Amino acid sequence: MMLSKLKRLFIQLVAASVGFCGIAQTAQAALIGTEQVAKSANPSKDRARLLAQLDRPQVVAELEKHGVARKDAVARVQALTDEEARMVAKAMDRAPAGGNSVIGAIVLIFLVLLLTDILGFTKIFPFTRSIR
Amino acid sequence: MRLLPPPNARRRWLLGFVLLLLTLAGCATRTPDLAREAPSDLPRRVELTRAPFFAQEAYQCGPATLAMALRSAGIAASPARLVSQVYLPERQGSLQIEMLAAARRNGAFALTIAPRMDALLREVSAGSPVIVLQNLGLPLLPTWHYALVIGYDLGRDEIVLRSGTTERLVMTAANFAHTWGRGDYWGMVALRPGRLPATAGEDEVTAAAIAFEKTNPPDAARRVYAAAAARWPGNLTLRMGLGNAAYAAGDLPAAEQAFRQAAQRHPRSAPAFNNLAMVLVEQGRTAEARQAAETALALGGPSRKEARATLERIAEAERHDGRVNDGPPGPAHPVPR
Repeated sequence: MMLSKLKRLFIQLVAASVGFCGIAQTAQAALIGTEQVAKSANPSKDRARLLAQLDRPQVVAELEKHGVARKDAVARVQALTDEEARMVAKAMDRAPAGGNSVIGAIVLIFLVLLLTDILGFTKIFPFTRSIR
Repeated sequence: MRLLPPPNARRRWLLGFVLLLLTLAGCATRTPDLAREAPSDLPRRVELTRAPFFAQEAYQCGPATLAMALRSAGIAASPARLVSQVYLPERQGSLQIEMLAAARRNGAFALTIAPRMDALLREVSAGSPVIVLQNLGLPLLPTWHYALVIGYDLGRDEIVLRSGTTERLVMTAANFAHTWGRGDYWGMVALRPGRLPATAGEDEVTAAAIAFEKTNPPDAARRVYAAAAARWPGNLTLRMGLGNAAYAAGDLPAAEQAFRQAAQRHPRSAPAFNNLAMVLVEQGRTAEARQAAETALALGGPSRKEARATLERIAEAERHDGRVNDGPPGPAHPVPR
C-alpha cells in the first residue's frame, strides 16, 4: 500500500523530469557565438600566424644565416595542411617566452625539426611524411 | 718655451682628430635613424602632450603605464586600481598578456602593434600613445620596463616617453631602438571602442574584437564591430559579431540587418542563416524564420545542431500561432505577441 504510493510518486517525478528535459532542450536554441563563427570561417588562422613570423626581420635574418631563403620558408608553410599548421603553431606557443629565445625557437621549429622530421631523423611532428 | 707643438706635430694631431671624427661618424650612421624608417607621409614631429602622467611607485611601471594609456583613451583609470589586475608582487612586474587583458577589462579595445618602428610611429601620429616593453639592462641581466611612447621627432631623431618617474623622457632613437629591441619590439595600444588601430591587420583586429566582446557590455562591443566591419566589409566574423552584439543589446532590427547582410555576402554560411532565423522568430516572423533556418540546416557543417534547435523553436512558435489563429473566438483584436 505504502510502497505503491511511493512508487507512484517516483514515477510522477521521473515523468516530470523527462518532460522538463524536453522543455530545456527546445529552450537551448540560441544564436551562434562570434568565436564559433570565427573558427569555422577561418580555419587557417594558424597558417597566418606562422607566416606572420616570417615577416619579422630577426627571424628572416636568422633563417638566412642558416641558408634558408624567406620565400622557401613561406613555401614550406604554404605546403602544410590546416591541421599541420595548427600543430606547428602549437609547438611555437610552447616555446620559452622572452627576448631572443622566441626567435631561436621559431627558427628551430622551422629548420631543424621540420626538416629532420621530413628526412626521417626525428619524429617530433607526427604529420611529416619521411622521405626514407 | 713654446707652448704649442711644432707645426708638423700639430698637423699630425689634427689629422688624427679628423680620422677619429670620421670613424665616430661611421658608427653613428650605422645605428637606425627614424627619418629613414618612417614612411614619408608621416608628420615630422608629433607629441601627444595631452596624455596624462602618473609617476610609478616602486616596481609598478605596468599599472602606471596602463593607467596613462587608458586615460588617454578617455577611460577613467588609476594606477592604484590597476595594481591588483596586472601586478605580480613576487615577480615585481606585470606580464604582457595581462596588460592586454586588463586594458580590455577596463573597457579599452586593446591589441599589440606590429613589432616595427614604422608601426610605432604611425600609431603615435594617429593619436594613440603606445605602451612599449623595454629592457633597460643587458640581455643577460634584464631590467624590464613598461613606458608610454607619446611622441617622436624625425629631425632630431628622438622618441618622447612618459616613463617611470619622468613625465617627459627624451631618448635618442638609437637608444630607444636598442632597449625596445631587447624587449622583442613588444608594443600595444588601448583605444576607445569604435576606434581602430592605424596599423593592425584584419586578422588581428578580428581576434581582438572577439576577445573584447567577451568581457565588455554589448553596446561597446557593437561599436568595435561596427568600426571593424566598416573597414573590412567582406569579413563574415565581424559582421556576425555586429549582429550578436546588437542582439545582446536588445536591438533586434539591427541584429536582423547585420545577419541578413552576412547571409547575402556569404550565402554558404550556416551560422548567418541560423542567427537570422533566430532574430526573425523572436520578432514573430515565423514564416521567414523557417525559410532561413531550413537554409542553415541544408548548408550543414558544424552548426547543424544549432540549426535543428532553431527549427524546433520555430515549430513551437508555429504551434502557438496556430492556436492563436484557429482557436475559439477570443478577443476582437489579435493577441499581441
